[in-house]
Amino acid sequence: MERAVDLEPRVWRPASARAQPRAKATTFIAVVLASACLSALVASWLPLQVSVITVFLFAGPHNWFELRYFLMRLPARFGRSRNFFIVAFAGIATLTLGYIALPLLYYANVWSGANWPTAIATWNSLLLIWIAALVWLRGRQRRGRDWSWALPVAFGLTSLNWLNPELFSLAIVYLHPLVALWFLDRHLARNRPEWLQSYRRCLMLLPLLLVGIVWQLGRMPSLADDNGLAWRITQHAGAQLLPGVSSHVLVSVHVFLEMLHYGVWLLALPLIAPLRKSRGKIWDVKTVPLARRRRGFPRLIAAVLGAGLFVVLALWLGFSTNYAATRDIYFTVAIAHVLAEAPFLLRML
Amino acid sequence: MKTPLLFCAAVVLLLASAVIAFADIPLPKASPSPVPSKTIKTTLVVAPDLNAWTARLQIPRSSLRQLRASLDNVPGEEALGTTSGSRTGTIVAGLFMFLAVSFGGVWLMRSGHSRNQKAVAAIAMAAALLGATAMITRGNAAPPPGWKWQRLPQNLNGGVPTTGQVEVEIVPEGESIKLIIPMYKATAESKPAE
Repeated sequence: MERAVDLEPRVWRPASARAQPRAKATTFIAVVLASACLSALVASWLPLQVSVITVFLFAGPHNWFELRYFLMRLPARFGRSRNFFIVAFAGIATLTLGYIALPLLYYANVWSGANWPTAIATWNSLLLIWIAALVWLRGRQRRGRDWSWALPVAFGLTSLNWLNPELFSLAIVYLHPLVALWFLDRHLARNRPEWLQSYRRCLMLLPLLLVGIVWQLGRMPSLADDNGLAWRITQHAGAQLLPGVSSHVLVSVHVFLEMLHYGVWLLALPLIAPLRKSRGKIWDVKTVPLARRRRGFPRLIAAVLGAGLFVVLALWLGFSTNYAATRDIYFTVAIAHVLAEAPFLLRML
Repeated sequence: MKTPLLFCAAVVLLLASAVIAFADIPLPKASPSPVPSKTIKTTLVVAPDLNAWTARLQIPRSSLRQLRASLDNVPGEEALGTTSGSRTGTIVAGLFMFLAVSFGGVWLMRSGHSRNQKAVAAIAMAAALLGATAMITRGNAAPPPGWKWQRLPQNLNGGVPTTGQVEVEIVPEGESIKLIIPMYKATAESKPAE
């Protein structure tokens, strides 16, 4: 009898109500597939132009949305996660300062270019050890989970890093956009579990699109990088490190992944996940736990978000006046948001 | 009786060890350090261009720096600024590989997995270790560097660029820049029928 009572709502739910989530999931999948295919097409067609436009339009705003998201995910009280967040913030600050200091010290002639790869390898090693420490700390917070495998894995990756640090840094450039897809996966698992399976099936299209881009553009000549901006874009995509690969392929793949990254942070996550629970507007400071609690910091949070908006406007102004220099500065400073993704993603695992 | 015997034995041992260790041979004269050859290794792209007015040789700044360092007898690795294949890089990579295997072994033994799972994990670790060792020691060396130039004639006819490794040498004689392309002999099967 109890079973019959439990089953009753499921059996007698109107057909239209049952069909609604399925229809929404179908729409979601259609949008995801269309966006991915369109991004691949545009990135393959005009890689340099699309790279310039996407970075100009979305680089700043997506960082602001990430900041907003991280503030929302920051607990009001750290509690048992205190050590985790101390290590996280200390690592973000140290590694970001180190990353910014490397080119500054180089241009100040503090060291010669000969030591550059060693410095990069050291920075990469610190990054890997920091991530391993975070994984280990996160594993300790969860009962029944032993995540101490992170240390040997980190040491193994560090070993590979020292064999070719430049290639390892290039791997970070290509892997970072994919982290956004992982964030979306975790959010769907929490907020829209009925969409998760379809989303994961969509992800299987990603390698197919990448193979398609490589296959289609593999035999094309490299992009003309005779001006400073084009040269910067091709270098960022690894044209110098992978001379045997057409820079057309490299830039297209990188732009495609970046477009997915921007799409997730600017559209998918704000529209699907966080607003569903809080029901708050994106500019509402009270949706941030640190501002909402009794002895919270609403003014500080508002100031941080306001400063973020100011930086976005400054970036647009900088891109308009000197695109190449602003792009260089942006990709150096933006390492902070790359690093910040690691602890917040781990918090969701 | 015993002490003189031990003394004689010690003397004989010392003389014998001196012979074995070549301690009775004078030190060789210090020879001048070998002069490094004026050679750098980089990649070359031969790109036919229908719109080009004259042949152009474009040298990246990094290669030029390396070439200049080679002329100044600076070690190439230092000039190039890479840890790839460098002594420091290999030592640190080996150190971290040792740490990875050590920590991995301890984690495997402490984990609550079954004996079969541990065996599979140990095999996977050994395979990864062998793979990494092959990479470090360049055991997975690619085909000969000149292999990529085999399709140069067809690519030139088709207007397609060809990329391959090249050694830039500074030679004392001659007035023209010379490009030597390796052409491997065709196998019996690929020879045209006479």
